Amino acid sequence: MNSTVRYIAFKPRNVSYYCVILLCLLTMISGGYCAYMMEVSGHIITGMNNHVAWGLPHVFAVGLIVTASGVLNGATCASVLGMEVYKPVARLSVVLASSTLLGGLTVLVLDLGRPDRLLLAFTHHNFGSIFTWNIFLYTGLLLICVVYLWMMMEKRFNRQVTTIGLAALVWRIVLTSGTGAIFGLLTGKNIIDTALMAMLFVVLSLVLGTAALVLVTILLKHWQSTQVDDELQKAFNRMQLLFLLVLGIFSIVYHLINVYARQDLYVPLFTLTGGLTTMFSVVYVLTGLLVPLGITLYLLKKPGGIYKQIASSIMSLTGGFLLLYIVIIGSQNQAKILFPGKTVLASRFGDGGFPAYVPSVWEWGVGLGGVAFSFFIFLLLIRVFALIPESQPSTVSKLI
Amino acid sequence: MSDLAPDPVSCMDADFEHNTKANAARRRFLQRIGVMGVSALTASSLPMNVSRGGSLLAADIGSSAASDEPVSGVSSERRWGLLIDTSKCSAGCDACVRGCHEEHGIGVSGNDHTDAQWIRKIDLEDNDSGETMSLPVMCQHCETAPCVDVCPTGASFKRADGVVLVNKHTCIGCRYCMLACPYKARSYIHEPVTDQLSRAPRGKGTVESCTLCVHRIDDGQNLQPACAVACRKDAHSAIVFGDLNNPDSEISKSIREHDAKQVRADLQLNTAVRYTGL
Amino acid sequence: MTNTIKFVLLLLGLSFTWVSLSGERGPVIPQGKGEVCVADTDFMRRNHMDLLVHQGDDTVIRGLREGPFSMADCVDCHVRHDDQGKPIRIDAEGEFCSTCHEYVAVSIDCFTCHAAVPDAKEPGSAHNNDHESDKNHRHRLAEQP
Ligand code: SF4
Ligand code: SF4
Repeated sequence: MNSTVRYIAFKPRNVSYYCVILLCLLTMISGGYCAYMMEVSGHIITGMNNHVAWGLPHVFAVGLIVTASGVLNGATCASVLGMEVYKPVARLSVVLASSTLLGGLTVLVLDLGRPDRLLLAFTHHNFGSIFTWNIFLYTGLLLICVVYLWMMMEKRFNRQVTTIGLAALVWRIVLTSGTGAIFGLLTGKNIIDTALMAMLFVVLSLVLGTAALVLVTILLKHWQSTQVDDELQKAFNRMQLLFLLVLGIFSIVYHLINVYARQDLYVPLFTLTGGLTTMFSVVYVLTGLLVPLGITLYLLKKPGGIYKQIASSIMSLTGGFLLLYIVIIGSQNQAKILFPGKTVLASRFGDGGFPAYVPSVWEWGVGLGGVAFSFFIFLLLIRVFALIPESQPSTVSKLI
Repeated sequence: MSDLAPDPVSCMDADFEHNTKANAARRRFLQRIGVMGVSALTASSLPMNVSRGGSLLAADIGSSAASDEPVSGVSSERRWGLLIDTSKCSAGCDACVRGCHEEHGIGVSGNDHTDAQWIRKIDLEDNDSGETMSLPVMCQHCETAPCVDVCPTGASFKRADGVVLVNKHTCIGCRYCMLACPYKARSYIHEPVTDQLSRAPRGKGTVESCTLCVHRIDDGQNLQPACAVACRKDAHSAIVFGDLNNPDSEISKSIREHDAKQVRADLQLNTAVRYTGL
Repeated sequence: MTNTIKFVLLLLGLSFTWVSLSGERGPVIPQGKGEVCVADTDFMRRNHMDLLVHQGDDTVIRGLREGPFSMADCVDCHVRHDDQGKPIRIDAEGEFCSTCHEYVAVSIDCFTCHAAVPDAKEPGSAHNNDHESDKNHRHRLAEQP
């Protein structure tokens, strides 16, 4: 393959392209309205309460942030590992990562009790808190992405791309582990929990990121022919198979360790905590792991099934978000045991159990608004800058 | 009127000076932008403001004839705590909870899961002996408090005297501390609040928990927390408040005598709230 | 095109100048109780926010509640009462805090948490009648030198 790729701005004229833009805008507006309502009325209108303090918006925020880190893997493969096949999507992967990260951060901020005090998070820190570190990791990655992109686009810096690519690689691994550590570092959890949770998040991010990249490249090609060929999709498929396998292994190990090795007061991964979490555990194993694994395996033997690839990516994405829901909500969705060896007869604060968390429409609005915001920014950026590989007659092959 | 006269000394420390200077600089900056952007007219007022910003301390408060009076306030020599005697606490009684709500102007909407839960009553039955007991649970004012460790802005903090508080001026409402607290002692304010008491500021979007009635502690008249007072009024006297650092205090003696325990001692948080008969 | 924009900008500038020379001379602020504030009016006007932040830190972190710049004292002195003698929120429109803050377009971030009226008097204590004179004491910010 030709190693010099020509980049162009992405300006398709399809009806469906404009429909997607319109849909993004509508979702963003309704998301903004939901956030406004949550700000004015307080979190009372959400499904969150004093038991489940982090609800659906956190799932979306963490999901988007983790996806962003995984999406960057495309650029890593191209500029750090020197894999030629990923070259055409290197820029695209950095842009998609930045916009996804921005969307995730927006949701995170909008869900704060006092979003108006955002600046305060940068002027007052407690460096003992993993959360503080994450604030800097997130904003730092955004910065790195900008520099990364700039160096890719500026001829004279092309040599430094490997260096910044390496920095981005290290940074995003720290970032995803740090995000996992938010949930692994809570009191009562031990070092194994923390390490496992961190690794689980790293793998999950790779699965989510690859799936997002696959979907986006296919969609872009559908709108305007680009230099994204079968080879690349095959490479994506091999990568996804590997990541899914590792994710499966980690999920099982994490679960087993918690169920059998440490029969303590904290929850295993696929805990049955009632409500959606139980259902999600089952659905995650099926749609998030088994079926996509099957499809990617099949595609390995018989490549080229574009719809199968789309289906497996969508399932991996959904499954990944379900897993996040299980980790984030599941750990809060049951009573904490204060008095081991005793049964709670009465408590006004659900010490013996409480109704399961059900997300409200406002939370869905904010979360989906964040997704739409991410995609909108992405479409905007690739429209303005030359980031999409131009199709070259010699290498174009029929995908659809 | 005389009691409202300014006390020139207490506001002269370095912190204040720093604050004022930083703010003066900020205003100066904003003013410059404003001046450049809008009209030269306002520029005439600029030099005056700037000079004032610089000299306001000397001119307006007066140079300090610094008194050497010791400043009162929290001291790490004490560590305040509670001792709860479960044998005196009775199931069905919630005098302490009501006392707390009254003291801090906490309204009850009826939704137990979104209402403030600074202190709650729990009735228990021992799985082996079948023995029942009742006790209140509030913030345990941990020595190594997880909620303090995780707070990104440092709003969740421990005073020198061991009282764990939320500084609502810097809380951004991220609720990480609620996830971190093993006792579920923290409540998030889910709705706008309007009829606060001046001794207990609280408002939507921030997190709160038992303050051990700091405003009473700071009063310096050996006042007891509202829950302890309410419990004694109800003739139970199940809650004792005192200084854990003083081996001769009533609370320290009772803790030794009755071998009082911590809730979830396995977490090694060295809580300041202890229970006898647990 | 650019000339038109310049012209419009000039017009805007002129009208701004005209308004600022001829119009309002500042908000009318209700006066508080007593004769003087805890510090010079001029000083308070410029520094009350820093004083309050400082006092807030002292109170919350260091447990010092005796300082002269306590929020509760501000409210006590500057609150006004309606015809039934009920206190009006100090951040309500036309009241002490909001008059100025609206004029300078700075939002107040105090009274989402702090009480905006004095605590109700304990039953038995004498009723507070100071509000009678409140309405008669008004003064103009701009008239102060
Ligand atoms: S009981 Fe909870 S809120 Fe209180 S100090 Fe311990 S961790 Fe913090
Ligand atoms: S909710 Fe407030 S006190 Fe709790 S961790 Fe977040 S900023 Fe700190």
